[in-house]
Amino acid sequence: MNKLNRRNFMTLAGASGAALAAGAGGSEQALAGSIKLQKGGRDFSPTTMKERKAIPTACWGCVTRDAMIGFVEDGRLKKLDGNPNSIRTMGVICAKAQAGVNQVYFPDRILYPLRRVGKRGEHKWKRVSWDAALDEIAARLKKLRDAGTPEKFMYHYGRHKASQAATMYDFMAAYGTKTIGNHTSICEGSKWVGQESLWGGMYDNWDYDNTEFVVNFGSNQFETHTNHIPTSQRLIRAMVDRGVPLYTFDVRLSATAAKSTEWVPIKPGKDGLVMLSMCNVIMNEGLYRKDHFKYMRVTADYHASVDDKIAAVKASVAKFTPEFAEQESGVPADKIKQIARGFAKAKSACLITYRGTCMHYHGADQERAAMLLAAITNNLDTKGGRVMGVGAGWKAPSSPKAKVHKGLNIKDGFPGEAAFPTHHVSQSVLPLIKDGQLGRPEVYWWSCHNPAYVYGDNKAIEEIMKDESLMPFTISSNIVYDESSALADIILPDVTYLERWDWEDMVSPPQVAEFYIRQPLVKPLGEARCQGDVWPDLAKRIGFELVYKDKEDYVRQSCEMTPGVKEAGGFEYMKKHGVWHDKSAKPNFGFYEKTVDVSGDGVILDEKTGVYWNWKKAGVASEAEAKSKGYLGTKGAKKAYVAQNIEGTARSAYPPNTKFLKSGLLDFYSDNFAAKGFPAFPTYTPVPEHEKMGKDDLILTTYKVAVHTHSRTSHCKWLTEIKHDNPAWINPKTAAERGIADGDEIKVVSDIGEMTTTAYVTEGVVPGIVAISYHLGRRYSGIYGSGNSDPINGGAAADRDAKNKWWKKHGNHPNALIPNWSDPISGAQRWMDTVVRVAKA
Amino acid sequence: MGTARNEMAENATARSQVYGLLAAVFRAEPTEVFLKEIKGSHFSKVFAELGVELGQEFYDRPEAELQEQLAVEFTRLFIGPGPHISAHESIFIDLDGSEGEHWGPATVAVKKFIETAGLDYEQSFAGLPDHVSVELEFLQRLAEWEARKWCEADAESADACLSVQMKFIAEHPIKWVPEFCAEIIKKAEQPFYREMAKVTRSFLQFDHDGMATMNADAGQGACA
Repeated sequence: MNKLNRRNFMTLAGASGAALAAGAGGSEQALAGSIKLQKGGRDFSPTTMKERKAIPTACWGCVTRDAMIGFVEDGRLKKLDGNPNSIRTMGVICAKAQAGVNQVYFPDRILYPLRRVGKRGEHKWKRVSWDAALDEIAARLKKLRDAGTPEKFMYHYGRHKASQAATMYDFMAAYGTKTIGNHTSICEGSKWVGQESLWGGMYDNWDYDNTEFVVNFGSNQFETHTNHIPTSQRLIRAMVDRGVPLYTFDVRLSATAAKSTEWVPIKPGKDGLVMLSMCNVIMNEGLYRKDHFKYMRVTADYHASVDDKIAAVKASVAKFTPEFAEQESGVPADKIKQIARGFAKAKSACLITYRGTCMHYHGADQERAAMLLAAITNNLDTKGGRVMGVGAGWKAPSSPKAKVHKGLNIKDGFPGEAAFPTHHVSQSVLPLIKDGQLGRPEVYWWSCHNPAYVYGDNKAIEEIMKDESLMPFTISSNIVYDESSALADIILPDVTYLERWDWEDMVSPPQVAEFYIRQPLVKPLGEARCQGDVWPDLAKRIGFELVYKDKEDYVRQSCEMTPGVKEAGGFEYMKKHGVWHDKSAKPNFGFYEKTVDVSGDGVILDEKTGVYWNWKKAGVASEAEAKSKGYLGTKGAKKAYVAQNIEGTARSAYPPNTKFLKSGLLDFYSDNFAAKGFPAFPTYTPVPEHEKMGKDDLILTTYKVAVHTHSRTSHCKWLTEIKHDNPAWINPKTAAERGIADGDEIKVVSDIGEMTTTAYVTEGVVPGIVAISYHLGRRYSGIYGSGNSDPINGGAAADRDAKNKWWKKHGNHPNALIPNWSDPISGAQRWMDTVVRVAKA
Repeated sequence: MGTARNEMAENATARSQVYGLLAAVFRAEPTEVFLKEIKGSHFSKVFAELGVELGQEFYDRPEAELQEQLAVEFTRLFIGPGPHISAHESIFIDLDGSEGEHWGPATVAVKKFIETAGLDYEQSFAGLPDHVSVELEFLQRLAEWEARKWCEADAESADACLSVQMKFIAEHPIKWVPEFCAEIIKKAEQPFYREMAKVTRSFLQFDHDGMATMNADAGQGACA
């Protein structure tokens, strides 16, 4: 280009002026007001006094959702810290929470709505306005709704909780679709199903503040637990201050195992067996406590005496001797006995389980074994034991429901895949869409979710999402361009959790509910919009109204209608303090013992089960009909449950609060299980594929580390700097048999895929397995997580800090090796069962 | 002297117009009206003089098609997803040990500068305060105000405004916009953004270099 001089400058200016006068500048400018410069050339240097605001909010880095304080300076979020007034977290947050700052400001963030203009997956996009994006979505959804087929709109979420979930469900109910997928089956669905079949609820908590003994099966409590910060610090405090022992059974020397009193290495899939073996020791040595037996049902007989129950449990666990358990699990019989005795003799004891126990074939039954161990030692919902979690019970506004409200049956797996998919079978949603036998959604919208990365056999999932004949229209709400949003037709820029409103409700370890909120720390970047703000807007475009105008309004209304919060000062109080709890509330232990008045109108005793239930509430025509059909034979009777007859006293016991129809007893003998062909009483069922393993086969196990979630953190540079590689852990013996040395490149091959990674030869993993964490090996998600962005090109590459990125490895993703296969009881993904072959690459 | 002030006013107006045009180039995807104007005779002469080569296809294609093509190019270049050229100062400039992220210290500095000059951000503006189009629009507004002050014979305010512009250019766009433009020139697939980047870089440097002289030449008297 030639050099500018005054003459051509003036010509350029003239042309520019004419163009602007003709409207070429557009109507939407950035700046408002008028220039106000003072005469005399006053120095207008901006003030150097920086204002810092401390704003209470809440984390979303993982499901724990700690209450936090955000420190904002000049409109920029500078730092996140714990909220010292939180009784859950006691002012502590983890590394992921602190790195929330990265979530807001990483330069690869999606800031504008995008419309695909090339082939799906071709990465060719055009920015569109929110109006254009929502009009297109609304037109498609309206068409489905008007045609009486709202179920052909599927919404599939990853992390949605509390008001984020409530506003979404409110919209979907008002619209009319029940085709709403979640992700719990790849998280811990089997654990919940096991618990629901027994105590009628879920979300166990552990009273570390009062416990004397802790046994942990397959939970990485100190690094990544579901209620991480609130529980971990209490457990550490118990260990340090009171000398409470912690025994961790795990296939791997996790940080939790390393900090435990003792790491007890165990083979995969054997946790339930060892627990049953501990039951065997406790029953045979008379170390059980009778207290809880009256609440237990251990045979088909609902009215068995405590002594009969003790005898029945003893008989049921007789075959699980410590010696047999040693043979199967690799845990020495003496160790099982020692820990069983310690557990039973302690005044109170906590039993922890998580994915290591549950994400197997029959994982739900392993959880039932854990509940049995807690029950026979009277450590269920008692001080110092495994307790029913207490969360905040918010009241919230509700919009009018659609007249037509239905769903595609694609959430619960293929026919026959799972007997009790009470938390659905999310890993089978995409395969079912491909299969087509149960119908296909015409609009598939996912949010805070990355199906093409997080499920097993993820390459196949990606191919399904790419196929426009299977998935005609796809929408992604996201903050980052990832493996799945790359396959969307429209990408809607979501806000980060630090830019939005919510009320929160996570379980509180002190057993007193904590109500807390999340409020925006900074204005959303770019055109990012909270989905809770989008729902009312989208509803209007489709032709219906919601009862709140935006998410802030929803949270405000909730604060003003929730007992306790309202009296404390409602929304204004919550904005100022962030957290509230009832200071007069006593910790909630032993809810099952509560006596219940059964004199109410319509309440009758079901002789067979000992359940008091209200036949009128159940909608039965007459008392005679109710008695004739009985509690178990009446549809809807579960909702009319009142109490359980416990040795002549009506007590709340364990109400059937979930999908399981059961009495108020702990159903260790489960008709529900028996009816579906599963063991009625907790038992040991080996993983079938493990029984058929050849001599060269190994078991692949996956795990989490402290600084990453499954798929929402790799773009956070502070975290990825700490953990950016995931070599395969392999025992020296196993490695030597294959001629593998530490640092060697190895190939891991399953029946469905293969990967190349690096061997980390360590005694910190049991022989016969290979352990790989699953957060890394990203194809997209920015330069820090994937390394795929040219450091000169822009985006994350334009981040000046990219020049400080010293790591070259970005890990490998093991999910391509793991099939999407389900625990036949719960439908939970069997992450820990895959058989592989490992060799030097 | 009056002539000198006339010249100053004319000059400020001219600068305002060019900044206004360049702000429009980077603010959003081009409209049909915008493209029609750029194709028009007003620009053909100066583009020829400057050696701005938009290519025959640019002139031959119907505006609607061209608009779609450039909207995709705009998204690819400036929006993402994937590697793109972020049009924000804070991405290019390290201040106070910042890490070149969105809403960095440079963003705050730009925002404060603009607000100190009496302007605010429109409620409807959803971008970041240090977007290149905002900086260019700010200079457009300042130069426009300066021109008015020259016409009102308020040389003191006009001089002050000139100083403000010099300071802003020196502290902000001149420090990063040339590099930003160089990236566009390197990455653009369509001649339009490549050439506009050249014009932007060239004009900014021209203005930066010329302002001191203009300031010194400021005179007294009435505006013609």
